[in-house]
Amino acid sequence: MRKRSKMVSLFLACTMCVPMLLTGCGSQNNSGKIEIELVQYKPEAVDVFKALEEEFNRTHDDIHLTIDSPNDAMTIIKTRFIREDYPDILGIGGDINYSYFIDANILADVSDYPGLADINQGYKDILEGLEFVPTEGTYGVPYVANAAGILYNREMFKEHGWEIPETWEELIALCDEIEAAGILPFYFGFKDTWTCLAPWNSLAVGLAPADVCQQVNAGKTNFTEEYREVAEKIMTLVEYGEDGPFAYDYNNACTAFANGESAMFAIGSYAVPQIKSVNPDMDIDSFVTPASSDPAGNTLNSGVDLQFCVTSACENKEAAYEVLDFLLADENLQMYLDDQSAVPCKTGDFILAPNLDGMTQYIAEGKMADYQDHYYPSEMAVDAQIQTYLIEKDTDAFLAKFDSDWQRYNRDIIQMVRDYNQKNGIQ
Amino acid sequence: MDVKGKERYNWPVTILLICGLITIIFPLYMTIIIAFKQPSEMTNSISGILSLPKTWSFSNFAEAMRVTDFWRSLRNSLLITGVTVILSIALHSMVGYAIGRNKAKSKWYNFTYLYIVSGMFVPFAILMMPLVKQTAQWGIANIFGVILCYMVFYMPMNLMLYSGYLVNIPVALEEAARVDGATTWTTYWKIIFPIMAPMHATVAVITALSVWNDVMTPLVIMSGSGLNTLPLAQLSFQTQFGTNYNLAFASYLLALLPLLIFYIICQKQILNGVVNGAVK
Amino acid sequence: MKYANDRQRTFMLMTIPVVVLFFAFNTLPLIKGVIYSFTNFRGYGTYDWVGLRNYIDLFQDARVGKSYLFTLKMAVLATIVTNVISLILALGLNSKIRFKSALRGLYFIPNILGALVVGYIFNYFFTYIIPALFNTTSILASTTWAWVGIVIVCAWQAVAMNTIIYISGLSTVPEDVYEAGSIDGATGWTKFKHLTFPLIIPFFSINMVLSGKNFLMVFDQIMALTKGGPAQSTESISYLIYNNGMAGGQFGFQSANAVLFFVIIVAFSVAQLRFTSSKEEQL
Repeated sequence: MRKRSKMVSLFLACTMCVPMLLTGCGSQNNSGKIEIELVQYKPEAVDVFKALEEEFNRTHDDIHLTIDSPNDAMTIIKTRFIREDYPDILGIGGDINYSYFIDANILADVSDYPGLADINQGYKDILEGLEFVPTEGTYGVPYVANAAGILYNREMFKEHGWEIPETWEELIALCDEIEAAGILPFYFGFKDTWTCLAPWNSLAVGLAPADVCQQVNAGKTNFTEEYREVAEKIMTLVEYGEDGPFAYDYNNACTAFANGESAMFAIGSYAVPQIKSVNPDMDIDSFVTPASSDPAGNTLNSGVDLQFCVTSACENKEAAYEVLDFLLADENLQMYLDDQSAVPCKTGDFILAPNLDGMTQYIAEGKMADYQDHYYPSEMAVDAQIQTYLIEKDTDAFLAKFDSDWQRYNRDIIQMVRDYNQKNGIQ
Repeated sequence: MDVKGKERYNWPVTILLICGLITIIFPLYMTIIIAFKQPSEMTNSISGILSLPKTWSFSNFAEAMRVTDFWRSLRNSLLITGVTVILSIALHSMVGYAIGRNKAKSKWYNFTYLYIVSGMFVPFAILMMPLVKQTAQWGIANIFGVILCYMVFYMPMNLMLYSGYLVNIPVALEEAARVDGATTWTTYWKIIFPIMAPMHATVAVITALSVWNDVMTPLVIMSGSGLNTLPLAQLSFQTQFGTNYNLAFASYLLALLPLLIFYIICQKQILNGVVNGAVK
Repeated sequence: MKYANDRQRTFMLMTIPVVVLFFAFNTLPLIKGVIYSFTNFRGYGTYDWVGLRNYIDLFQDARVGKSYLFTLKMAVLATIVTNVISLILALGLNSKIRFKSALRGLYFIPNILGALVVGYIFNYFFTYIIPALFNTTSILASTTWAWVGIVIVCAWQAVAMNTIIYISGLSTVPEDVYEAGSIDGATGWTKFKHLTFPLIIPFFSINMVLSGKNFLMVFDQIMALTKGGPAQSTESISYLIYNNGMAGGQFGFQSANAVLFFVIIVAFSVAQLRFTSSKEEQL
């Protein structure tokens, strides 16, 4: 018997030790500082955030900041939410996930944050518009915006004397001209599904009403009607791209454009750092996608690319605000802008990247509209649907599926919106 | 099994088989040369693709090790695999013994046996989402939780192996020990456990191979916690923005290397183990 | 009697903790999964009971239907390809050849490599090397052919395992069967069909179950090769459940999908066991 109990205790001791051993390596830094964890979703900005993190920790004694920039961050963030493991601050985009997180009460109201006063009202409105049903509070602090349209090789354009198109017809004429010169007009890189959304969005802002999704949710219109022209025009553009665009991904497209294989690239300003990493001396400029025949109808496709949200689980809101103050400080924001060719959401004198020359006028005039895909539910996978459409080329089937899928994936939201409208007497 | 005497070798088949090896060697060869090349050496011509790198520099490997935090991932992988194997051998053989000795005469043990073995039919997909929530709620969304999950996932298979093997071990051995005054517990550890050594080897090999290469379990249970296993590190390395294939291949090679080395050393045991596990 | 008591108590002590562990990490999550399948849970936040809505949707959802079709199609083809190749390989490796053990060792290598990393390596081959060598476009970019690419990678790895099992099956075939066969004048294909194959049927059925079930649950290869694309043509069931359940906010709906998948796996396994055991009895 004695031997047995010895064995048992030995075994128990072993199994007990294992978790202790394992948990021992997870946590660090117990020096009495307040721990703030920020998870941000832009892996391409990992370097600048590393630098900001170091700078913050160097200058602050009472708070220790950790910034995570994981790959496939949205999956990671949501998996952590499933585990009820919340970071203190989220750096996410102004898209449908933000709407979901507000709806799930994950985000804290930050309307008492003083720094909000310096933020461009336009971007605060964009965030308000993303709430499924209007709420009292403010849940995000917009940091930078991006703009999507068409990037072009300025040197190549100068050399051939090509003009920036202002209408759809001019754009097509330009494409024909470029092709005649033996150069590929566009490079798309549609193997990644999300790249399909870039030209789609920049066409959609010019052709469909900005609040088309809310209108559909309210039952006032449908996508078959609103998106037909968008669908037809994106199909026309694809014909001016590389052969078999579905074999190449975003990286391939950036590399090809950087090497001068195509004259234009229908993508957002966020692609510039990647392109420059291949060809640092490249002279890139951009213009707004002319979607309609009327130059006055051109609208810049711009949305909140990165905003900071404090979670309700954050125990030290004061400390979180201190981190936000630091990130929003002019010199730190400028550092981010230089690195990422982004547009600041904060008012003030910032130096913008020359790649945005063609768009600055629109920004100054406020002729902007949010990306329409920021309203598409992620599980509907609109990006893959557009990719399917571009492969199969069946406009009617695509639009019909868009409408029926929309109703199915948004069922709960549509119900919520209608209940809200009924309760508040909005028709 | 080996050919005895001076029987003639079947050369045509030998040559065919050697030619067939190209399907295995070629991918490995390409992996190695890409891992050593620099991005500037990557061209689209056939000779450029197949040619050896200009210099055999380990810079890609050093960089890949840094980016994927190789040593930490390796340590985690070793820890998870090692602890799972040891615990599997200890616990699964024990329960295999208890059930194997009793399932013929006891309804309870027979039921337990069928209950656990039927777990083989449960795909991970259905357990995945609840397990993520559960491990988090119990505070084990870490390496320990992953090990516990593995303990359960491989239990049906290992239980079958152990209780099947036990049929070959006569009860008389235990009776003899009993006459000497030993308890069942000591009899088990002193007599039965060592006799099951061949089965331990099988269980160890099968469990180790599957655990080492598994991606999904650590992916859903530990992702975002900063803990990586070696395969998981490859997944996190694939960023949507920017890929350096040479670096990536160096990293892949590093991830494949530990098992390749293990295989070269214990080839025979691994082959035997795998066959035993599948056939028994 | 004291001994018998001690023995029974020890057996209980050995079994109960393990059963508890099994219940906690297998049965409990299984039950929870079934419960979640009746909700519209996103995985976080609040949720409502929706009754059978998820199950009704499941049968109307084109994406789910497509993923079942793809998974089935790919599992069937991969199982056939794998078994044919590995049987041929095993016959070769079991004959009187030179370098026998070295060849066997080398042919087994794919099995020990991690599926994810192998997938990444092949992804590069399909995108760059093969198009460059044969002047074609990548098959992974084609909605009609991408699934074949996945079959190739799955089979490349699975052949190793199945070959080893066939070899061990072939080594159980006694020499005198062949000798008796040669006297009757049986050669080549007839010898294989009438003498060898019937004797290795048990191994054949092991391989069918093994590869069939593994291919139905394919995940790593999809993750590495196509991420379900192009145009959602290569989404396996496991991948869809992971992707939409964890990241896509369909926790409840994909739980229902997982329950359906579970039922199918059970049915498949039972059917296969019945089929093979009846085949074995006939012999």
